[in-house]
Amino acid sequence: MAQLFSPAAATLFRVAIVLACLGILSGAALAYVWARSGSTWNVGKPAPQPVPFRHDLHSGSLGIDCRYCHSTVERAADAGMPSAQTCMTCHSQVWVGASVLEPIRSSFLLGQPIEWASVHRLPDYAYFNHAVHVTKGVACETCHGRVDRMSKTVKTQTMSMGWCLDCHRDPVPQLRPQDAVFTMGYEPHGKNLPDDLREFYREASRRLTSCNTCHR
Amino acid sequence: MSSEAIAVTTPVAEVPLSRRFGRVWWCALVVSGGLVLLLGYTLVSVTILGVGIWGVNIPFVWGFDLINYAWWIGIANGASLFAAILVLRRHDLRTAVNRFAEGVAFFAVICAGIFPIFHLGRPWLFYWTFPYPATFEVWPQFRSTLTWDFWAISTHAIVTSLLWYVGLIPDLATLRDRARRKSVQRIYGIFALGWRGSVRHWAYHQRAYRLVAILVLPLILIMQSTVAFEFAVTLVPDWHETRQPLHFVATGLAQGLSIVLLVAVLLRSGLRLGRYIDEEDIDLLGKLVLASAIVSGYLFLDEVIAALLAERMAQEAMLNRMTGDYAGLYWTAIVYSVLIPQLLWFKAARNSTIAGVFVGLSIGVGIWFDRFSIIVGGLQTDYLPSISRNYQPTLAETGLFLGTIGLFAALLLLFVRFLPVVSMFETRHDEHLEKSS
Repeated sequence: MAQLFSPAAATLFRVAIVLACLGILSGAALAYVWARSGSTWNVGKPAPQPVPFRHDLHSGSLGIDCRYCHSTVERAADAGMPSAQTCMTCHSQVWVGASVLEPIRSSFLLGQPIEWASVHRLPDYAYFNHAVHVTKGVACETCHGRVDRMSKTVKTQTMSMGWCLDCHRDPVPQLRPQDAVFTMGYEPHGKNLPDDLREFYREASRRLTSCNTCHR
Repeated sequence: MSSEAIAVTTPVAEVPLSRRFGRVWWCALVVSGGLVLLLGYTLVSVTILGVGIWGVNIPFVWGFDLINYAWWIGIANGASLFAAILVLRRHDLRTAVNRFAEGVAFFAVICAGIFPIFHLGRPWLFYWTFPYPATFEVWPQFRSTLTWDFWAISTHAIVTSLLWYVGLIPDLATLRDRARRKSVQRIYGIFALGWRGSVRHWAYHQRAYRLVAILVLPLILIMQSTVAFEFAVTLVPDWHETRQPLHFVATGLAQGLSIVLLVAVLLRSGLRLGRYIDEEDIDLLGKLVLASAIVSGYLFLDEVIAALLAERMAQEAMLNRMTGDYAGLYWTAIVYSVLIPQLLWFKAARNSTIAGVFVGLSIGVGIWFDRFSIIVGGLQTDYLPSISRNYQPTLAETGLFLGTIGLFAALLLLFVRFLPVVSMFETRHDEHLEKSS
């Protein structure tokens, strides 16, 4: 009877087993890296906006305070997006005829809100409150990055649950004094953390990592 | 290999190698295939529409999903525990029943695994129960029964499939050598992993087979207890008992043995394997089933006694199961799993195919009612007056259950068609021993 398999078959089979194991391992490694990469979370990807609004111009060069447009950030869960009226406080005087501002003007005349596209949308099951973060010393910059340098608004952080928890488990290194929350390019604390804060958050981080703090 | 040794197992090897398999097999496969389609349909519908299409609702958070899970895993446990003990004891019965007992265990695990995954509600996220480095940086809750299910089922699947496959390797090589078509030879040859039957191969094989069999023993006890603990750790008065694991392990063994008996008598008459699964084997199997049914009976009694010693709440819960809205389930369980098997006291019944099928099915049905009674009967008494509805499985749940029975039958039919149902190498070994002694 002729041989069923060639002499190399056993070697091939062994190689196939090793390759399959390596394939599984590298697949797992790939999945690990992919799940953490910025592009998976749309980091750095601008959303199509009705108006080519530039943060670098308004916030960076002109120095307009964040709260001028995001007016409810200190009081509500939502930071608030500017209405056409807010834009028109200046743009009724400057860039009056600019065609790129046409959506603003028509929105103002028709009394309809501008449809800004959200860049930092969290899932429905995650409850996020801007006010509590801002009033407790979490700066705009910590989550949104150097918005004052962005010509197109993009995410700079993954905003994954793990990223939230990184801070909730140990918030103190990220916190700023109240007068520095809206500044850009501020270096919090340096190496020495304030003792009273550290003492407080040793207890509080337990509450901050409870499921129903964010999933209500 | 001597020609005599080949002749011994030819009828077994001829079954998977034959080109035609008769109409009955095809009819059975079509019927079970139809049930598998039903299974697919119910699974797709529960995935798209959600668990709302099931009859489960507060207080009956667990219905058919857990009843059937516990039932199938009981069969898997009983059958693989039995097979492992036979391998380790080198008992004569292993030549006859081991192969398909291991197969039954593996197929039952597959059926069992479907329920916990789909009762998650979001089955596509089932891997969240596995501790892997997720981007949400939270480990699974190790105190949750969902994670226990994950470990119980995956351990079961790995160990029972290993036990089955390791036992199959020498027989796959036999099939490879006896197959007439080149393509068939190649397929069996790949799965035989280059088995040449050298002394070294046999030494390794024996070691591996027995090692896996030893692994089965503690794992089965632990995993079946895990299923029982899923009930025992809750605060439901009728479930919150330390005797729960014992009840599940022992009744599970009865159930596994009864399904092994059922398959044994069916194979014996269906494939005319009387020489390999002989009267003595069936007789012994019948006695084992009887013994395990008596143990089940003792455990039903123990339940009552344990309730008498317990506090009032547990007593009420037990009494409610015996006399409440679901009393029928409880008493059916006792009749089918304890009383009917008493038929096996008679030799005529042990040797009869019809009685074997009848008793095998009856214990399976009885234990199913027992699981139903434990799960639904335990939840029935809620201490909130607003809740008075009862649990009733919907068509989607019944279809799912029938579907897993179809899947089990289809896997068994395919196994019978393509693999040797009796361990040929063990048979050769024993016949050789008999001749030399």
